[in-house]
Amino acid sequence: MPELKEVIISITNRCNYKCRMCDIPFQKSKELTTSQWQKVIRDAYLIGAETIVFSGGEPLLREDIFELISYVKNNSMNCCLTSNGYLIDEECASRLHNSGIDVVNISIEGPPQIHDYLRGRGTFDKAVFALENLRKYKIESTIATMVSRYNYKYLDYIVELAKEYKATTIKFQPFNRIFLSSNCSEGNFFISKREIKRMKDMTKKVTWLCNNYGITTNPRRYLEMMPLYLSRNHFDSSFICNTLWISCPINSQGEIYPCWVLTQKDKLIGNINQDSFLNIWNSQKHRSVVEKIKKDGCPGCMMSCYDENFGRDGLETRIVTNVKRLQKEGAFEYVRRILKRWGRRFKFYNSYRGSPRQAFNRLRGLFKKKKLHKTEIDKEEIDKALKEIALIKKIFEEEIRCLS
Amino acid sequence: MDYLKEFKINLAYHFSEVLEYPFAKPYWIYVSLSHKCTYKCQMCGVVKILKGYELQTKLIKKALNEINSWNWDCVVMFTGGEPFLREDIFELINYSVNRRLKTEVVSNGALINKEMASRIINSGLQNIAISLDGAKESTHDLIRERGSFKKALDAITNLVMTKKRMNTGPQISVWTTIMKENVQELFEIIDLVKELGVECLVYHPVIVAQDDMQKTSPNAPFWISDGYIKILKEQIDKILDYQSKYGLVAFLHNPYLWLKYFESTLTKKDWKCNPFVFLNIGPDGEVRSCGSSFGNIREMSLDDCLVSKEAFNARRTMKLCQKPCLQTCWAHPESNSLLDIANRFIESIKDNKDKTKFLKETIKILEEYENLLISYKDA
Repeated sequence: MPELKEVIISITNRCNYKCRMCDIPFQKSKELTTSQWQKVIRDAYLIGAETIVFSGGEPLLREDIFELISYVKNNSMNCCLTSNGYLIDEECASRLHNSGIDVVNISIEGPPQIHDYLRGRGTFDKAVFALENLRKYKIESTIATMVSRYNYKYLDYIVELAKEYKATTIKFQPFNRIFLSSNCSEGNFFISKREIKRMKDMTKKVTWLCNNYGITTNPRRYLEMMPLYLSRNHFDSSFICNTLWISCPINSQGEIYPCWVLTQKDKLIGNINQDSFLNIWNSQKHRSVVEKIKKDGCPGCMMSCYDENFGRDGLETRIVTNVKRLQKEGAFEYVRRILKRWGRRFKFYNSYRGSPRQAFNRLRGLFKKKKLHKTEIDKEEIDKALKEIALIKKIFEEEIRCLS
Repeated sequence: MDYLKEFKINLAYHFSEVLEYPFAKPYWIYVSLSHKCTYKCQMCGVVKILKGYELQTKLIKKALNEINSWNWDCVVMFTGGEPFLREDIFELINYSVNRRLKTEVVSNGALINKEMASRIINSGLQNIAISLDGAKESTHDLIRERGSFKKALDAITNLVMTKKRMNTGPQISVWTTIMKENVQELFEIIDLVKELGVECLVYHPVIVAQDDMQKTSPNAPFWISDGYIKILKEQIDKILDYQSKYGLVAFLHNPYLWLKYFESTLTKKDWKCNPFVFLNIGPDGEVRSCGSSFGNIREMSLDDCLVSKEAFNARRTMKLCQKPCLQTCWAHPESNSLLDIANRFIESIKDNKDKTKFLKETIKILEEYENLLISYKDA
């Protein structure tokens, strides 16, 4: 039962960087207009989403980005922006503050030499300057890091940096083949099996540091699995990804797929250019694509936007989040929302699983002792078989007659 | 060559399939002792399911007794996991061999040192199969685990040397799984194992989900697709050429069917499985052929499992399967058509001097079946 929580909009494929591990800037695409995106945001609100994330490319290259951020805030949703930080000078930070953005995510890959090697000369200073400006205008900043062979040894540097610039969260994302088109060499980003132990030590250190400094990061299980994943080892993904229900990506051409990884042709759910987001979300095609994925199973991935699959936050964190929400919305709204969610769940189970009485009967059936039914052979088939035997007997008798 | 016995067996499998009743007992019986293993190979789903279960020694012996009472020509294969991790493995092999059941074991070779090798050679096994997935250390280790290539080769060497010394012992064979990672080296493996002294090499195409064979999916990580299919075809040409001159490789069907399998164009016309040929006893005691379980040997006898309602339903589903999976132990193409069985029999006794006697015997067998079926009809 889809209960949409966030919509991730890749608003443009254009970028002012040409990072080593990304080929989005090379994917030309026809972008959508401002009014089209505004309609999408409005539909997302009607469906019940809570957060809109602007990503891409570099979202700040779009001239109407501030207008769209304001529109999101006017529709009482949270708004988040990912950026490489080049364009976030004082003036831009002030405009961001005025538009009401909630969180800005800056990508940092490691110490200056590593970051510059991967992204371009001088980019580290620009990213740090962006963090400073965001702090000046009291905008919450977070850091995103793509972990690979180049920077896994220096992840603690990033934690120290986050502490210094008062970023609230660091999200680590291991390198994924989908970042690069097939003709680029992806071998340099994976690690060898010998390096697994060293990376495991680093992830442990990172978890410890983040806990101490009060910086949120990916769930512990996710970080523990990263070294195995990066060494191209098969990792045990025995969960069922719930991203299909809570997060919806829309790419810069307006195409909607179940997630960032499943982008084969048969998984296309719809296109904003042809139909509204509301209609697409409630369409039969959406239901059938999700059902097929549930049936076929998904081998799992380590995209950090879906890292909740790897373990929920501890009880403490959940209590704190809920208290904050209560403070923000007020008790009435908070209780109403919980009732709405449970009401939807009950209706779903009722329709899908049958009424409580039927569930009780099923449960009783489990405890009944199994009776052994012996199989019976179909009488028609016996007749057919007898006819065949008669035919074969004739052949053998004919053979005997020929011999004698 | 006992043509009459073969005729009887073919007849039994044919009528079992047509009438959906087990007139024939299974030929291959895989006993999964437990799913514990020394490695965690990438393509193996077995280690991830039913982890806590292990078959009790008493239960296995009871099942072996029942299999013995059938008086049917069958092969008991101890598998799992890694069979040699069980302390009582040789006790079980002994028990099975003493009841004149053909016994085989498949292993990854991790635990076969010189002492274990001599125990294996003297145990009375019919065949010991070691899994080898590459001709180079890097390929095999990538698929399995670091150091596993060397251990497998050591195991094979130990077995071959011990067999030479004792001048007797089981057939030593090698099993290779065909997948994307090793498709370029399939022919090279032949040279490697020939040098070591292996007697038989069998190739198996990779399966995606061992606990649900219907889930064959072309998006799986080890699947051979696009460009690799061409490589596979070249390898098959070379292997077939070698086999026609020197033998060593055992094909249980036309090897070009592998290409169709990986392209997902294999149909029932090319290959059809017979649900009565194979039986698997899992470490939790569940008995199955492919798909849902027939019953559990902890609660009922093996015979009851074969005629239960669940078995009937499961075999029905297998009959409707549209995705043949080329696991060769599960087919009996000789018994697909009664006419073929009869013609083949006549052809085989062509040069025999007791032709009339044989033919009279076959007519007697057919009449027995007639009476049996009529009695079922009237019951």
